[in-house]
Amino acid sequence: MNAKLAGLLCGAAAGFIMTWAALTDPRVIREMLLLQSTHVFFLMGSAIFVAAIGVRVLRRAGLRSLVTREPIGWTGEPPATRHVVGSMIFGAGWSIAGTCPGPAAAMIGQGQLMGLVIAAGILAGVVLAGAHRTPRAAASGEAVGAAGL
Amino acid sequence: MTPDVAPWYVAGPLLGLVIVAMRALLNKPFGALGGYIDLATCRSASQALSLRGFVLLGIVLGGAVYTLALGSFTQTLEYPAGGATVALGPVARIGLLLAAGIAIGLGARLAGGCTSGHGMCGVSIGSRASLVACMTFFATAVAFAHGISLAGGGP
Repeated sequence: MNAKLAGLLCGAAAGFIMTWAALTDPRVIREMLLLQSTHVFFLMGSAIFVAAIGVRVLRRAGLRSLVTREPIGWTGEPPATRHVVGSMIFGAGWSIAGTCPGPAAAMIGQGQLMGLVIAAGILAGVVLAGAHRTPRAAASGEAVGAAGL
Repeated sequence: MTPDVAPWYVAGPLLGLVIVAMRALLNKPFGALGGYIDLATCRSASQALSLRGFVLLGIVLGGAVYTLALGSFTQTLEYPAGGATVALGPVARIGLLLAAGIAIGLGARLAGGCTSGHGMCGVSIGSRASLVACMTFFATAVAFAHGISLAGGGP
């Protein structure tokens, strides 16, 4: 299987699940952020729990990835100021829009016009964030950020 | 939301398995933000999207498949989020959501990830930067939501 096709399928599974779990409904995000509902907290927590065990099992077994044939592994990243500052700006936008990059994309698939508006904003914001970087800094920044992306 | 919403104990572990699948198939982290960076920095139509662009397109596709199979394409300009719960005209609402989108894109790229990339995937592999990012955006967003609510922007 082609790597891009595998990525498309993984994305499609994620988009389907996000939509099924109503993460594309800004009311659900709003209830979570107002601490009125535990749905999203438990959802993210259980996703992290399953992923944390799953990826460690793969790494411990010394497997190679099926499509790209790489030894399975990763490196974490030490925290830096940009993680805090960026996440504060991101958190503010998340709170106002009631959605974030993944669910906003799924929203477009659902045919919600507002998803397109938010996605257009995200694209503009991504360009703005990249504008002050030199190509070299951008490349290294992305390489470092790749662990978290 | 005509059909039943998936409970967290179904949807959460399934999303976790998507992160595991990305590792098992590609040895790549799962995240939505990279796809936007890909789209924004794609210089020409002939320059093919990279893997993370395809992941993002997949998310759009997944939303469409769910809606075709189980949901309905109901269209509304209502947008019951944060500050948009105040009575705003369509133009003001679009402006507000556009601004929120810019903050999301700018902040997430600066931080190197979003709710999926840092919040779920990064935390699951034990990246300390992701943990810091995740705690920061949750704290900020919870504080902001309460602030908007107090300011009369919603129930």
